[in-house]
Amino acid sequence: MNGMNGITNVIAVELKLIMRDPMSAFFALAFPLIMLWVKLRTGKPLPGGLPAVDATVPMLSVFVIGLAALVILPATLAGYRERRVLKRLRATPASPTLLFGAQWVAHMLLAALGTMLLIVVGLIGYGLTAPANVGGVLLAWTLGALSLSSIGLLVGGLVPSGRAATVIGLGLFFPMGFLSGAVIPRETMSESMRAIGDLTPMAPAVRAIRDGWAGDAMSPVTLGLMVAIFVVAGGVALRAFRW
Amino acid sequence: MTAIEMDGLRKSYKGGNAVDGVSLRVERGEIFGIAGPNGAGKTTIVECASGLRRRDGGTLRVLGLDPQSDRRELLQRIGVQLQEAALPDAIKVGEALRMYASLYAKPADWREVMDEWGLTDKRRAGFASLSGGWKQRLFIALALVGNPDLVFLDELTTGLDPSARRTTWGLIREMRERGVTVVLVTHFMDEAEALCDRIAIIDRGRVIAEGSPRELITRGRSDSLEDAYLALTGRGTA
Repeated sequence: MNGMNGITNVIAVELKLIMRDPMSAFFALAFPLIMLWVKLRTGKPLPGGLPAVDATVPMLSVFVIGLAALVILPATLAGYRERRVLKRLRATPASPTLLFGAQWVAHMLLAALGTMLLIVVGLIGYGLTAPANVGGVLLAWTLGALSLSSIGLLVGGLVPSGRAATVIGLGLFFPMGFLSGAVIPRETMSESMRAIGDLTPMAPAVRAIRDGWAGDAMSPVTLGLMVAIFVVAGGVALRAFRW
Repeated sequence: MTAIEMDGLRKSYKGGNAVDGVSLRVERGEIFGIAGPNGAGKTTIVECASGLRRRDGGTLRVLGLDPQSDRRELLQRIGVQLQEAALPDAIKVGEALRMYASLYAKPADWREVMDEWGLTDKRRAGFASLSGGWKQRLFIALALVGNPDLVFLDELTTGLDPSARRTTWGLIREMRERGVTVVLVTHFMDEAEALCDRIAIIDRGRVIAEGSPRELITRGRSDSLEDAYLALTGRGTA
């Protein structure tokens, strides 16, 4: 059987296609670095004494996941539907799960690449402290990627055109990014803003990754929330998916 | 050996082109043409036979399989070129062939297919940069890369210039020489006459005539298949 060969091939091709699109490459790889530079120009520690870089790199890693999962992934899928790329694939023996899975992995590899760039620049340029709980950060990052991209798959599975998917994706991404603490540190947000932000599906990812990085205890509720979002949104996405 | 046995196929849509009791037999190794005016139901017949659409009624066996209940098994053994289907703009010819080959259990060697269809020089060209003729050539190669026993080609030469059309005809004859059964949907009668062993003419969801090009020309009391087609569909006088 050719299953593994099939999925690795599709992943490799999809990743190359994303990287060849200047907009996607810019958004996922360069834009977060610009954000890092902007956020760290003043270099003031956060209230509580945490060096700004040690909060900003974990925060922006969620920003990168959000861009890949909520903006680029749905735009790719909906664009494929609009251009009838999906229709052609449907006439092959490839299962929807394989195609879905390959898209998901390719976009998460993009997010991983963006995150690694942030970490490298943080280490070299800004004296980033290594994560206290590496396993915890990896777990939180993966759950964050799963939960946010299942929402992205839901959008991409239903919206008829790439343009509409981009508009919806950006409409989800920017408010979430600013309210959840992926752009503005939670410590400097007002109580009410934080309360609203905590209702967005991006907030658990921000909290878990920052807790893991700082070596604070990670809340099982936060991790469980991400699993729940993944199961529910992912399940609905698979059922609602249109070719 | 029969490639397709279709009896009383029915499919209706809200406001779409219906198929109303079509029966066809396609033998292994032949080029079988499905011709008819736009909206006659040709594409619907192909979509039902290739497992892309569920039929409302009738019996249908393709390579001995039911396109609905044995869909995945059937898709391993057929190749499809669809009207209006596309590839991502940035994908390269070689990447597309390699990726599509990897989706099948027993594919052909994609490099050989690429070579046989003259695509090796274009392997690094992006899909969006290809001309219509090269795109069609790539779609034929993609339909064959899974090493199918049967291929469906839907309006393959629409939009091609005359020389690209003639080249494509040669490629389709080559497929038959390799033992692949070809179902060719077309509304060009010169194409059907030049290529097909047998043709079914479809109008308003029904088969109105079936036979070899020669038989149809005789039956239509005409000199060419195009004249016979116009006589048989009753559209020559309009």
